[in-house]
Amino acid sequence: MKNHYLVRALTTAQTLTRTSTFSRRALCSSAAPPSAADVALKNVTTSNFEPALAELRRHVKEADFVSIDLEMTGVTSAPWRESFEFDRPDVQYLKIKDSAEKFAVVQFGVCPFRWDAHSNSFVAHPHNFYIFPRQEIPGDGIAYEFLCQTSSLEFLAKYQFDFNACIYEGISYLSRSQEEEALRRLDFLYKDDIPDSSSNWGKDVDTQLVRMADILFAERMKNKVSEWRAGLLRESNWGSESQGSLNDIKQTFQTTFFHMRPALVVNGLTSRQLKLIKLVTEKHFKDLAYVHVTGEISGSQPLIVYTDSKTDRDLLMREVKACQRKEAEMKIKAAVGFRHVIDLLSSEKKLIVGHNCFLDLAHVYSKFVGSLPLTAEEFVSAIQKYFPYIIDTKVLLNLDDALSRIMRTGSTSLSKAFGLLCPQIAPSFTTSDLADKLRVKVEVQVDDQRFSNWNSGAKHEAGYDAFMTGCVFSQACVHLGIDFNSHTPPLDFPHNENLQKYINHLYLSWMSGDIIDLKTGEPASESLVSSILKRRYMKIVFSNMILLWGPPSKLKARDIRDCFCKVFGTGSVTSIYHLDDTAAFVQFSKTEMVSDFFELKDKLERDNDPISVLHPMSKILEGGGIRAASYDMYKEICSSPVSELVFADQAEAVGIKLKTRVVETAIDVEKKQENEIFNRECEISCHFRTDEVVDSSYQSEAQWSK
Amino acid sequence: MLFKRFLCTQTAARHRDRRRHRWPVKQVTKSNFSEALAEIKECIFNSDFVAVSLEKTGGSSAPWQRIIPIDTAETAYVKAKHNAERFQILQFAVCPFSVKASNKLIAHPYNFHLFPRDELKVGMPSYSFSCQSSYLASMAREGFDFNACIYNGISYLSRAQESATKVQIGDLLSSSCVGQSSSVHSVADSLFTERIKSRVRNWINACKDSNKTEVADALISSLRKLVSGSEVYGSRPSLTIDVCSERQVQLALEMLKEFVNVVPLRVPAKGVGVQAVRVVLTSSAEDKKLLEKEIWDKEQEQRNRVRGFREVIDLISSSGRPVVAHNSLNDFAFIHSKFLAPLPLTMHEFRSSLIPVFPHILDVNHLMKEIGPFDKMNNMLAAISYLERRFSAPIDMDISNRAQTDEVNIHGHNVLRVCQLFVKLCSILKISPEVPKDDHSQLSPSLQSHANILSPYSNNPENPIDDDVRIWTGNSKMVSTENLIFLWGFESGISARMLKDVLHDSHDVFSGEFDVRMIDRTCAIVVFWNSDFSKHFLTTMDSGAISSDKLKDMISDGLRVTGYETYKRVCESGLRKRDLAECLEQALEDSEIYSGVESQKEESVICWNNDEMINLDDL
Repeated sequence: MKNHYLVRALTTAQTLTRTSTFSRRALCSSAAPPSAADVALKNVTTSNFEPALAELRRHVKEADFVSIDLEMTGVTSAPWRESFEFDRPDVQYLKIKDSAEKFAVVQFGVCPFRWDAHSNSFVAHPHNFYIFPRQEIPGDGIAYEFLCQTSSLEFLAKYQFDFNACIYEGISYLSRSQEEEALRRLDFLYKDDIPDSSSNWGKDVDTQLVRMADILFAERMKNKVSEWRAGLLRESNWGSESQGSLNDIKQTFQTTFFHMRPALVVNGLTSRQLKLIKLVTEKHFKDLAYVHVTGEISGSQPLIVYTDSKTDRDLLMREVKACQRKEAEMKIKAAVGFRHVIDLLSSEKKLIVGHNCFLDLAHVYSKFVGSLPLTAEEFVSAIQKYFPYIIDTKVLLNLDDALSRIMRTGSTSLSKAFGLLCPQIAPSFTTSDLADKLRVKVEVQVDDQRFSNWNSGAKHEAGYDAFMTGCVFSQACVHLGIDFNSHTPPLDFPHNENLQKYINHLYLSWMSGDIIDLKTGEPASESLVSSILKRRYMKIVFSNMILLWGPPSKLKARDIRDCFCKVFGTGSVTSIYHLDDTAAFVQFSKTEMVSDFFELKDKLERDNDPISVLHPMSKILEGGGIRAASYDMYKEICSSPVSELVFADQAEAVGIKLKTRVVETAIDVEKKQENEIFNRECEISCHFRTDEVVDSSYQSEAQWSK
Repeated sequence: MLFKRFLCTQTAARHRDRRRHRWPVKQVTKSNFSEALAEIKECIFNSDFVAVSLEKTGGSSAPWQRIIPIDTAETAYVKAKHNAERFQILQFAVCPFSVKASNKLIAHPYNFHLFPRDELKVGMPSYSFSCQSSYLASMAREGFDFNACIYNGISYLSRAQESATKVQIGDLLSSSCVGQSSSVHSVADSLFTERIKSRVRNWINACKDSNKTEVADALISSLRKLVSGSEVYGSRPSLTIDVCSERQVQLALEMLKEFVNVVPLRVPAKGVGVQAVRVVLTSSAEDKKLLEKEIWDKEQEQRNRVRGFREVIDLISSSGRPVVAHNSLNDFAFIHSKFLAPLPLTMHEFRSSLIPVFPHILDVNHLMKEIGPFDKMNNMLAAISYLERRFSAPIDMDISNRAQTDEVNIHGHNVLRVCQLFVKLCSILKISPEVPKDDHSQLSPSLQSHANILSPYSNNPENPIDDDVRIWTGNSKMVSTENLIFLWGFESGISARMLKDVLHDSHDVFSGEFDVRMIDRTCAIVVFWNSDFSKHFLTTMDSGAISSDKLKDMISDGLRVTGYETYKRVCESGLRKRDLAECLEQALEDSEIYSGVESQKEESVICWNNDEMINLDDL
């Protein structure tokens, strides 16, 4: 603690000299040092994790709600994995799952908020945890690996993220399933029927005496050990006498006691020599046992222990094994690390507040619970078990009429919401038309010091973002007509009727505006959704869509539209969406056209007659190298763990398997009158549609999303 | 913010203090890159060799994914390719060096800190990359400053990426583009040409007029400018001609040749192609040259910004100096994928793409094997101390870096070890590291015989086979891949010896001599000394006509076998699961669906020891 203050004092000094704005502010509030503006966020790393956790336990217990925020090493593993409006909810979940599985969390902000009736304000305790997936316990051969999106690292760097703090001192963690797995491995390692406690599968080839040096060394050791043993047997008084004969090698070998038995410590030898000693001991001495203990007090220590009998020897081995097991268990327990914070939040069953936090929760689940389920429904029911009450401020701001009126324009980014709703806290926003009585006061407590006017100013620092989220939520509560004082403490947010509409509703994807109800796993009820500003300009019917991919030059929206209109009639294509340069969705006006298309495609691929070759569709499919599949194949491709940069490559990588199934679907499709297509084709005069209005190229769309 | 920074510099310093070695390696980041580039250029061209050493964000993630002795050239390459595509280089140490009087080493070590920052906002050089936390943690133990790397690392573009972006950035100067004159002119073409010709003529005249009437009113001159549509390029007047196709660009450029003292420039469009042609009027021929040089310099500067660290690679390549590496297959797979082009599918293509760029690659690992079997092949420190113990070959190392600073850094020391090891090995093996003075494109014959051999051994500190390499290396008998079968589905935790005991006498083929090795905890290989045995055994297993009860029991317990083909398929496919058994199983499943696809037999002899080498010249 002292050190901590010292460092902070130094930092303050630095701040004073370096930044003029800071020093000015420090001068203004010349009262109790250090001033509120200078106090950094409560940063937690391995060095102060234990005390910080103990403190956090207390704060969370007392808290009325806890806001969280995460910083990750990336969001999408490929451009086409970004969220699009033409993603069906199940596809959206798969994209989130992919993101949460691949990227690492590097910072975790936790901020408990407690209503203090005396000061008529909330007290917030922002914590900023640096976490890093360091491998603390011996694994099973697989290395911990995570992906970094270059642009995300640049983004973090732009906001002065400290990568050194994260990698050097980040708190590691084990998920529940990792912990279980580790304990299971322990069970296997210390199974009773494996006689030798120190062996494991890695060292399966016996050490053999091949080298001359080895043979000589083994022989010498054999003599030494038998000498020592003889000494023991001669003298009933073990401890003092045995030294005599071993004086010459005293620095290496020392007699000691181990589990009430005399033992010889063999220090300062290489692992190969120890292996030889073990071999010699086991081969030549029935009453000696070689054990290698790693204790907290003694450190790592190889020993040769004298036992009275075979039963005694077995007893000893069992004791040693039990000890080792206990030690290993302790290690696993210690490796749980940051998950203690998650377990704390879960066990206290507090209201969790996040901002657009579906991805955050997916990360929480995959990092601290276990591997993510395959469907969104399974996921939400699983996450509800851990966090029964979750509220998303983004949902709140968009769905509530009063709040969306305050937000005025479309953007509901966290910093903007914070600036608009909490100008008294946010430094940069000064003007507001809100009456002062409606303002929620938030006081910040960092290390037992309380500030009514605190601002660390570090945007996109998880701890500060969590703090902002909590402030936005508490201010939003006021606008929803929640009176914090009318309740006898504690405030019961989870059961507050004004919040019922929004609780456990999250944006599955902000792009499409789909909201998922965590209680049911279903999309949110119409009444809720209808109140949203309708963002979609065209209804997307997934069953009418097919996926095309291939070389970019052949995937021009105009060409595709022309070709499809020639074959299926003008107006058959309602819209074309580009996934990236190499892939596009075609939405037909009628569902049957999808099956018609695959039937036609199949036919064209099968037949080689002039009609097929000259068919306008052949120009795209065969000649253009364009592949096609149903919308479900898109889902299949998204669920693959592979992430190629370009969609066409991804589709190829996912596979050869795919080809057969595409054909299958095409065959499965109900047989229709085959001639119909050709007849229709003849009727069509080539009208070129000039209105490309409904075409949405992915580029413009990306801009629009921002 | 400041608080954090303060903390981190402290940790870095603390770690640094512990180090004993204090070789002055020049650390290069974005801020001192252009200065270091000029320096290293001189060093490279004044030296005989260039040693390189790469610090990556990760390696193979499971034991079987390392390059192991049973890998053929192809599978080894595929594994190296997989890693090179996933991981990132954070430090690239380059050390031009010369050897004088057989044991005096003159080295100029540089350590470049790289980060694939998207400098041009075009989504390159790298959308994302993988990290292994153990690799990052070990870099942290060395005191590596990740902040400096991510904030200040040097970016780059590969050759392929540069040519892809060229279209987007555009060549400003168009003189190079006016090549072939188009012969056929349509009516529309001549109309277009005539129209802009008269426009340019008018504009030039107008410019000359305005020069004469110097006292013209400011308002009038600006009005005139407005009317004539003239602009200013730097201090010179310019005119923009809008074009709507490449064809019109050609026509405009051709037409502009008629005018003296004008410099045409292409204005790149946002996406692809050219939006307009800008004509800049110069006052004289000298002025024209001046402007052209100005633009060329600007382009050069832009190019440097685009290429970044690749300039160093290009320098090494153009110098033709032999490149010394410790793990050439892995390192050059990285170099190829990050700085040249995406990696091709096969070893053969890789070689033919790499060798023109780096004609002489020397691998210290390979030279090390010339000395004899050595356990810790991949550990350079161990290798150096091993050589020191066994041979007397003192090396006098002279590190001469210009602009010596007090700040001594520990990063990039490996590259000096590569130099040291190389010179030591040359002296022990009596290879003269002399390079013909006049011609740097040739190696001395004694070195040439060791060049361009890519060692299939990855630099992994944890050797999967611990200290039993002797069994792998002692027997140098060649084994065809046909003699190998993969075995899995046995009790987990079983040892190779136990497995051999179990197999013994379970089938006719096992009555003779055979060998069993564990690949990882789930999978073992059985080596027969006769390929008929393996074929026989595989067919027996397929047909199910098994007489032995012991084997039957094992099969009903889940024992599975397959040949080398399946392993090859696993390596080539993206299957990267932890356990080889899982991957083999899946590959078999997939192949059952496409049993029609027969993979052709290729050259498939591997060495049953780790003397296995791939000689690039032999491919």
